[in-house]
Amino acid sequence: MLQRARDYLNSLLLLEVLKGLRLTGGYLFKRKFTIQYPEEKAPISPRFRGLHALRRYPNGEERCIACKLCEAVCPALAITIEAEPREDGSRRTTRYDIDLFKCIYCGFCEESCPVDSIVETDIYEYHFENRGDNIMTKDKLLAIGDRYEERIAAARAADAPYR
Amino acid sequence: MSDKITLEIDGRSCKAALGEMIIAVADREGIAIPRFCYHPKLSVAANCRMCLVEAEQGGRPFPKPVPACATPVADGMKVQTRSHKALEAQRGTMEFLLINHPLDCPICDQGGECELQDVSMGYGEDISRFSERKRVVQDEDLGPLIATEMTRCIHCTRCVRFGAEIAGVRELGATGRGEEMRIGTFTAQTVQHELSGNIIDLCPVGALTSKPYRFSARAWELTERDSISPHDSVGANLQLHVRRNQVLRVHPRPNEAVNETWISDRDRFSYQGLNAAERLDQPMVKRNGVWHDIDWTSALKLAADGLRAVEGDTIGCLVSPRATLEEQFLLQKLLRALGSGHIDSRLRQQDFRGDASDPQRPWLGVSIAELEQQKALVLIGSDLRAEQPLLAHRIRKAALAGAQVSVFNYFNVELTHPHQSFTAPPGCLLVELAALAAALELRGSSDAVRELIGLAKPEDAHHALAQQLRAARNDGNGLILLGALAEADPDYTLIKALAEAIAIGSGVRLGYLPSAANSTGAALAGALPHRAPAGEVLETPGLNAREMLTSPRRAYLLWDIDPAADVLDPALAQVALSDAQLVVACSSFRTPALEQHAHLLLPISAFAETSGTFVNAEGRWQGFQGAVAPPGEARPGWKLLRVLGNLLELEGFAYDSARELRTELETLCANSSFDNSARALRPALKVPDIDQQLMRVGQVPIYASDMLTRHAAALQHTPLGESIAVHLHPEQAGELGFAHGERVSIRQGDATATATVVITDSVPKGCARIPAAVPGSETLGAQIGPVALTKARG
Amino acid sequence: MPEIRNYTLNFGPQHPAAHGVLRLVLEMSGEVIERADPHIGLLHRGTEKLAETKPFNQSIGYMDRLDYVSMMCNEHGYVRAIEKLLGIEAPERAQYIRTLFDEITRILNHLMWLGAHALDVGAMSVFLYCFREREDLMDCYEAVSGARLHATYYRPGGVYRDLPGQMPRFADDKTKWHSSAEFRRRNQAREGSLLDFIQDFTERFPALVDEYETLLTDNRIWKQRTVGIGVVDGERAQAIGFTGPMLRGSGVEWDLRKKQPYAAYDKVDFDIPVGVNGDCYDRYLVRVEEMRQSNRIIRQCLDWLRANPGPVMLGDHKVTPPNRVGMKDDMEALIHHFKLFTEGYCPPAGEVYAAVEAPKGEFGCYIIADGANKPYRLKVRAPGFAHLSALDEMSRGHMLADVVAIIGTMDIVFGEVDR
Repeated sequence: MLQRARDYLNSLLLLEVLKGLRLTGGYLFKRKFTIQYPEEKAPISPRFRGLHALRRYPNGEERCIACKLCEAVCPALAITIEAEPREDGSRRTTRYDIDLFKCIYCGFCEESCPVDSIVETDIYEYHFENRGDNIMTKDKLLAIGDRYEERIAAARAADAPYR
Repeated sequence: MSDKITLEIDGRSCKAALGEMIIAVADREGIAIPRFCYHPKLSVAANCRMCLVEAEQGGRPFPKPVPACATPVADGMKVQTRSHKALEAQRGTMEFLLINHPLDCPICDQGGECELQDVSMGYGEDISRFSERKRVVQDEDLGPLIATEMTRCIHCTRCVRFGAEIAGVRELGATGRGEEMRIGTFTAQTVQHELSGNIIDLCPVGALTSKPYRFSARAWELTERDSISPHDSVGANLQLHVRRNQVLRVHPRPNEAVNETWISDRDRFSYQGLNAAERLDQPMVKRNGVWHDIDWTSALKLAADGLRAVEGDTIGCLVSPRATLEEQFLLQKLLRALGSGHIDSRLRQQDFRGDASDPQRPWLGVSIAELEQQKALVLIGSDLRAEQPLLAHRIRKAALAGAQVSVFNYFNVELTHPHQSFTAPPGCLLVELAALAAALELRGSSDAVRELIGLAKPEDAHHALAQQLRAARNDGNGLILLGALAEADPDYTLIKALAEAIAIGSGVRLGYLPSAANSTGAALAGALPHRAPAGEVLETPGLNAREMLTSPRRAYLLWDIDPAADVLDPALAQVALSDAQLVVACSSFRTPALEQHAHLLLPISAFAETSGTFVNAEGRWQGFQGAVAPPGEARPGWKLLRVLGNLLELEGFAYDSARELRTELETLCANSSFDNSARALRPALKVPDIDQQLMRVGQVPIYASDMLTRHAAALQHTPLGESIAVHLHPEQAGELGFAHGERVSIRQGDATATATVVITDSVPKGCARIPAAVPGSETLGAQIGPVALTKARG
Repeated sequence: MPEIRNYTLNFGPQHPAAHGVLRLVLEMSGEVIERADPHIGLLHRGTEKLAETKPFNQSIGYMDRLDYVSMMCNEHGYVRAIEKLLGIEAPERAQYIRTLFDEITRILNHLMWLGAHALDVGAMSVFLYCFREREDLMDCYEAVSGARLHATYYRPGGVYRDLPGQMPRFADDKTKWHSSAEFRRRNQAREGSLLDFIQDFTERFPALVDEYETLLTDNRIWKQRTVGIGVVDGERAQAIGFTGPMLRGSGVEWDLRKKQPYAAYDKVDFDIPVGVNGDCYDRYLVRVEEMRQSNRIIRQCLDWLRANPGPVMLGDHKVTPPNRVGMKDDMEALIHHFKLFTEGYCPPAGEVYAAVEAPKGEFGCYIIADGANKPYRLKVRAPGFAHLSALDEMSRGHMLADVVAIIGTMDIVFGEVDR
């Protein structure tokens, strides 16, 4: 009987609603936990798997040797490689395309690469404006690699003990 | 079954013959034993030690693991291939093998199809304990076909044994021992045997790989499509490896009855021609001497109108003996429906006087596999290894098994087995043959043969050969084979008559070595002036290939041939074509001669791009499907002919598929058996003047045999990819006053060319070997015929 | 008098409360549901068929994309099936990492569910708070695998990499909005390793769950919308294949983590909450309590993981790729690396079924292997499919608005229903 009366009173006084309002109201005065993207950015792991890049050796020689492991392991069949002997007889790609529309960013290409050539960088801000831009050609990939080599190398170094 | 014994492998009871090796029995039973050096077609070397297994005999185990490839089975033997001891031994072997193996997998073409990788995964350790330096071996340059990376070699010696046992030329050998062992050509020369490409397949690692294919694809990207070789008359079974509509390489498809597990380099590397820049991929018409691309509708209309505009009888058709059965059948149907019987695929034959008496459907005479069992073989007019590399291998096997091989030819043929040569220039060769006939005490059925026998003076060699043939008669294992070079002889009919006389007289069989993939089929398709489909005899034959040129036609239909190379007499052919009102060339390539003489070029697919059938030398019908789409606008030949037939409103061209055509042909030919006996008495012929002037012998080098091969770049760069030269006997050269390397001009009637002199004693006196179908020979006359040589001016 | 007929109402597939691409054809009499007919398949990607064409490992990434709010649990189910087929067992540390991340995933999923469910029913704030916590957990995902959602982290034989020793941090440069001090403050929890970060989270989380409960548990609207809605009794729930919270909400005590323990679940303490009435409200209570229990499991895993370093991947390189250092200077390792990344491994022929207690229920993979390097057949048992099948009987007789609550309580994700 007493319980029923208390329930009735609670209900009448909107107690649980008021408790909720107090909680949400309290957040008005708390520190905001949002960040202001794009000026501020969320932390990013050295393991991050973003836009792809092809790397070079410090002497400028491209690392990729057209072994095609990445092409073979790619679950989405996003990578297309064509290769032939270069003039000096070494094995090189003549075409290295990644279709970013097909790519599922699983990171297997990087895992499979025996020479650390294809990597997934921590770049996640990119977009396409024209048809066909989604195909990352060898030139584009190498350009990304050249431009961000320092970041790429630092991230690989940070994660090296775990691989 | 008395020699059958029983043994137990992995607990399974197996039957085996005495003397068999454990590994052979296990293979038959489907029990996997790892191996590198063992190959069923090669001798046992037992040097890789990968196939170590545990065995016991009569309850007593062998003290050590034994190599399964070198341990003969015994009754009651018990073999364990997966016991702890066996696995330990295999693991140990694998570890040793990998010690000196470079970390090349990512850049090695073998990666993904490498036996070393597979066995390492299946039987080896997963981590290496070896941390010292690995050895490095200097590379060999084996020529344009085979790429080497000798550091990867694991010394299985399969390639060495292949050279010694299959090719018969010890091109590769092993020097040094242990870690110092090297495989190489002793004198840094190019590997040039025509079967040497097979060592690419044999090499279990990436030490020997294909150079034209180098770095272009991985095994897992390729789709395998079955096909049949379009070159020689073996019809080697091929596997085309295709990626993105491009044939990237060719592998053999094992077929014991045809090509065993081998293919010739021509079969293996001619695919390069498929991707050549010279492929014709667009119908083209010549207007005022300039070639224009046109669409198929107009092209076909032009062709149909052109053919309709001339009288049927004035059309001549030269068809490649490498065209499929279906194409040849439709072509003859088209021609004959237009009222012309002038169709021929014997483009390199000179003497057609025997047509009326020729066998109805000539063939090899025995099955390809039976070649190995022959006891006595006589080859007449054949550059065997160039014409039929795989038959040469069969004949070599017969020779090694004790067969007596004799060769009657215009020049010395290099064979890799014991043989006897009877070498004489054209004309004199008849006398040589007659000498054999005389030694057999034959009298001859015709005047000419009798006269020749009368001329002959048999020597000991002829008597010995006669003896061999008589001996071979008893078990029916003697064979006389007429080669492709004999076909070009101006007295081919006499050669045939003599050969027939010898065969009948000695009681051995007679066979023909048809020159091309579908030469045998041409008779069945009716692509001969004197044969209707199914090889039925036509009493009123049309003009043959030579007559079509000597009495020129107003219109020509050329099917996949280059008039400058694929005919007996390119000079004559080009004159005839240039006078014609209409030349329609259906071709898979553009060649200068076609561009010069044709008026309409219709692109047709090459062998890998169409479905069809080839009938090989032994009469085996081998069908195949297109593996890739033809380039550009090119279309399968049979489709082109079907549409052309429809446009010309001819009956019987309503085919929906090549299969339908094949079924029709099969029904037609259901009762057509092959037979090499002459249909009638050979005609009376005049015996040529023996010992006349210098004769040209123009054999077709192995890599000049057809348009596809001629456009395969790598093959052309091999030493066997010949170009024009005049090969003369030293005495002959001396008489003519030529020095080695001198430029001379060649004159055959009106036809001329220049070439350098090569002095060699492989050519007899009275004979000048000037290859045909090679660059520089386009302007020459008949392959075999009188020739005049003078010093070139300037 | 006009004839009174049932309405047919199309709900979805583009409706904010349809949780993806659900299309419902509702036959209604007035506002009362006579029949609810779910049309599925709009998100069908043929995952099972796709898996037949690829080496086993290559499909791990596609498992993430089934139930895309409980990624690692799906991976776990698939990877466990392969391990069973191969007859291998991941190292203990990997087992604990998997347990840890399964529970993180459970919290991620339940937070997503709670936020979305509350939003469907009309409560906005809960959604925001839930996503705030999800952000921290997704940072854990990213720290360990490099991806916030589609981790591809579990592998047959363990997990790809060990937990990072350093949690990624904010750049502490001053910006227009925040001072460096603010970023330093935010980085406090990130100073240590991933484990420290998770530790910090587990300390904060129970209070946060209390907050959600403050907003919902006693709230009259919430209760009016959920109590007595979509009631399924225990027997019926079992009969129609309910699993997970849907089953436990009906009072059936069934949890694979207890009944068929896998990973490290037999070594950690936790309780299974069960409901009484089998209505939406009870299922809500069950899931909220599961979050607290997950938090408890996570803490135990953290303690163990701190104390027990070790390998996280099986050392058998016939199945698991060798490490990168080895691969670069060791012949055997290179060969195994090459072969594993191109051809993969070939498990023996056979059939296996392995299941895990995913946040939504029993997620299982049934694999038939024919001895090749890819599955002959893969069948995914997704809990959501069975749950959605019951939509008709659960919503019959309810009002249109209740359908939204029922869809919400089912925790439907079309990635796994349509596969």
